Amino acid sequence: MQRQRSLLILILVLIIAAFTVIATIPIPLGLDLRGGSQLTIQVKPSAEIPKITERELEGVKKVVEGRINGLGVSEPVIQTVGTDKILVQLPGVNNPEQAERVLGGTAQLEFRTQKPNTETQLLAFQASRAELKAKQEELRKSTDKAAIVKNQEDLQKSNQAIAELFESTNPPLIGKYLKDAYGEPTQGNNWNVAIRFDQQGGQLFANLTKNLAGTGRSIGVFLDNELISAPTVGIEFAAAGISGGSAVITGRFTAQEANDLGVQLRGGALPVPVEIAEIRTVGATLGKDSITSSIYAGIGGLTLVLTFMVVYYRLPGLIADIALLIYALLTWATFALLGVTLTLPGIAGFILSIGMAVDANVLIFERTREELQAGKSLYRSIESGFYRAFSSILDGNVTTVIACAALFWLGAGLVKGFALTLALGVAVSMFTAITCTRTLMFLAYTIPALKKPELFCPNLPTNQAEVAQ
Amino acid sequence: MKLSINKSRSLWWAISSAIILAGIISMVISWQNPNIKAPLRPSLDFIGGTRLQFERDCTKPGNCDQPIDINVVREVAKAQGLGDSSIQIVADRGTGAENGILIRTKNLLPEQRSNLQNALSEKVGTFDEQKNQFDSVGPTLGQELFTSGVIALIVSFAGIIVYLTFRFQLDYALFAIVALLHDVFITAGIFSIFGLVLGTEVDSLFIVALLTITGFSVNDTVVIYDRIRETLKTNPNGAIADIVDDAVNQTLGRSINTTFTTMLSLFAIFLFGGETLKNFALALIIGFTAGAYSSIFIASTLLTLWRERNGQSVVVSGESIDTSAGN
Repeated sequence: MQRQRSLLILILVLIIAAFTVIATIPIPLGLDLRGGSQLTIQVKPSAEIPKITERELEGVKKVVEGRINGLGVSEPVIQTVGTDKILVQLPGVNNPEQAERVLGGTAQLEFRTQKPNTETQLLAFQASRAELKAKQEELRKSTDKAAIVKNQEDLQKSNQAIAELFESTNPPLIGKYLKDAYGEPTQGNNWNVAIRFDQQGGQLFANLTKNLAGTGRSIGVFLDNELISAPTVGIEFAAAGISGGSAVITGRFTAQEANDLGVQLRGGALPVPVEIAEIRTVGATLGKDSITSSIYAGIGGLTLVLTFMVVYYRLPGLIADIALLIYALLTWATFALLGVTLTLPGIAGFILSIGMAVDANVLIFERTREELQAGKSLYRSIESGFYRAFSSILDGNVTTVIACAALFWLGAGLVKGFALTLALGVAVSMFTAITCTRTLMFLAYTIPALKKPELFCPNLPTNQAEVAQ
Repeated sequence: MKLSINKSRSLWWAISSAIILAGIISMVISWQNPNIKAPLRPSLDFIGGTRLQFERDCTKPGNCDQPIDINVVREVAKAQGLGDSSIQIVADRGTGAENGILIRTKNLLPEQRSNLQNALSEKVGTFDEQKNQFDSVGPTLGQELFTSGVIALIVSFAGIIVYLTFRFQLDYALFAIVALLHDVFITAGIFSIFGLVLGTEVDSLFIVALLTITGFSVNDTVVIYDRIRETLKTNPNGAIADIVDDAVNQTLGRSINTTFTTMLSLFAIFLFGGETLKNFALALIIGFTAGAYSSIFIASTLLTLWRERNGQSVVVSGESIDTSAGN
């Protein structure tokens, strides 16, 4: 009984922990439940870049991030999917047309010349823009949409004002001439950003730098019309410009900053076309309706299953019901702990797992009944019910998990959520069916009023079970 | 009551074959149908396209006084060059009033979409932005989704064969897969018929449903196999047909109850779970029923036939649990 007692304590601790987790960590809702837009952007290979690698994808992602920031959406999620896709989630956006237009185009990187006598202006503009950007970061954490939009407009004006201080070269030095860009460490703790042009680009860059060398005016590096870097050129290049096609942007960068700028430049240099492969938008009210109906479905399913178990299996059924409630609680807490985003199919997986979670108990109880009918004592019957049902439970659950694993690895988006919730459900149900039910069964057995075989199995032929003990 | 499943096995096979055959015929007809051109009616998840759903804002006075005239909607779509779109008037789930429009068309650009929305809004009333729903899937992505779904099915089949061969024996594993294919075919067949008769479409959740059916059906089969293996171990010389009959009967209560409790959850999803999950729940209801049936009547009877033909001197796998313990 010592073992039972410690298990009972473990279960109690888990229940309390689960309640705490559920109370403190909210489960994030998927866009299909809270409303918003989800876009899948596909990066397509081109003649110049026949194969999309992780490096290219990272670059495009950076560009997409920059564009999303320009949209002024709160809590956007941007992640790469597979080898050539980027998933963008924009909560609360009901009319994604703007996002689609902004995200769909190829990135525009351009090196421009600063207009004469605008040095002080540029410094002032850059300072105010940095302020606005910091504020935007702050606002993004809040849900004050109006303030975000307002600040975004200011930021756009500021970007526009900065852009007006620069002019394109003729012909323009654009991203397609850029071959590579990457952060590289210098002596000391600083990092530089190295850039390399192709032959034609190198020529254009030499001209550009020759004009600017020693003037104090800077090269404006623009990505999607936003200034991302403004290096100046030293006087020593006044004669021939920076020739040879490669250059280094110095500026006391940290490793992180240098790398970011490198990725941004590479993304902008990519001549790879992007395409919105998929867009799903759900209105906020529609999402709320879905939550309500899922709650009905969940409560409905749970109630029916609980009732059936008590009616059919009597006392063990009641015990299984308690285990099932613990199951639901623990699974919910696991979702919260692992940060599972709840989607509609995910909820379906959860509800379905409630129905399937009783399977292990059904197997055990059926076995227990058989043993009782075969004339074994109550204790032995319960014991061997658990023992003999175990291999079936294990085999059955492993096969389900195999199917879930295939879904998780090969499925996309919503499908993944379903596979994960179902697999977690199966794992937790193994634990509750075997440990919780077992502990509670033996606990019931120690209470004399409950130690009656007919409570475990109706219509036993005789009372020989009691005698055999 | 004792079920002698092996006595009338040709009957069980005939029932299954008839349903599968009906499904296959329906698939062929679907394939010939110029509107479907596939064994099952694919949703835009697979073929790409745009689906728009609008609902009128009835909080505005006078906005919902007139019912939506589907012909007006068709006119508007035609004027936008979308004459071949499928258009439906849908009822609001809460009130039952027909205030929603569902349009399925080829892939639309953002501009085309907002043009359509504005034109429609002008004719039938203001829409509630909060209830709009757009889905747009490019054709390449749809193809990819379909391929990865099919690969997921094949991979999980292979995984199950390996696991069952390891835990039981190869012939057990193969017949479990036959039972699985049976369930998948029946579900797909019935959905093909639905597609022809009711216009039901299959989306990516349908593939999820098939995979879940796979897991569940094997689960069911494994429980019976487990019993067969256990009995074979204590009684290696018994007639295989009797052993299988006994195993099925001993596990019958469990099979019925488990299927029943799962069905309770599924019917709850089917009735209350909302539009998106309705077809998903329906596929699972059909598949799980087929799964319970195939474990009892197909996988076990095939195993019997196989072992009768090949003699019973097959060594029982050493993986089985020690049945003498606990007694």
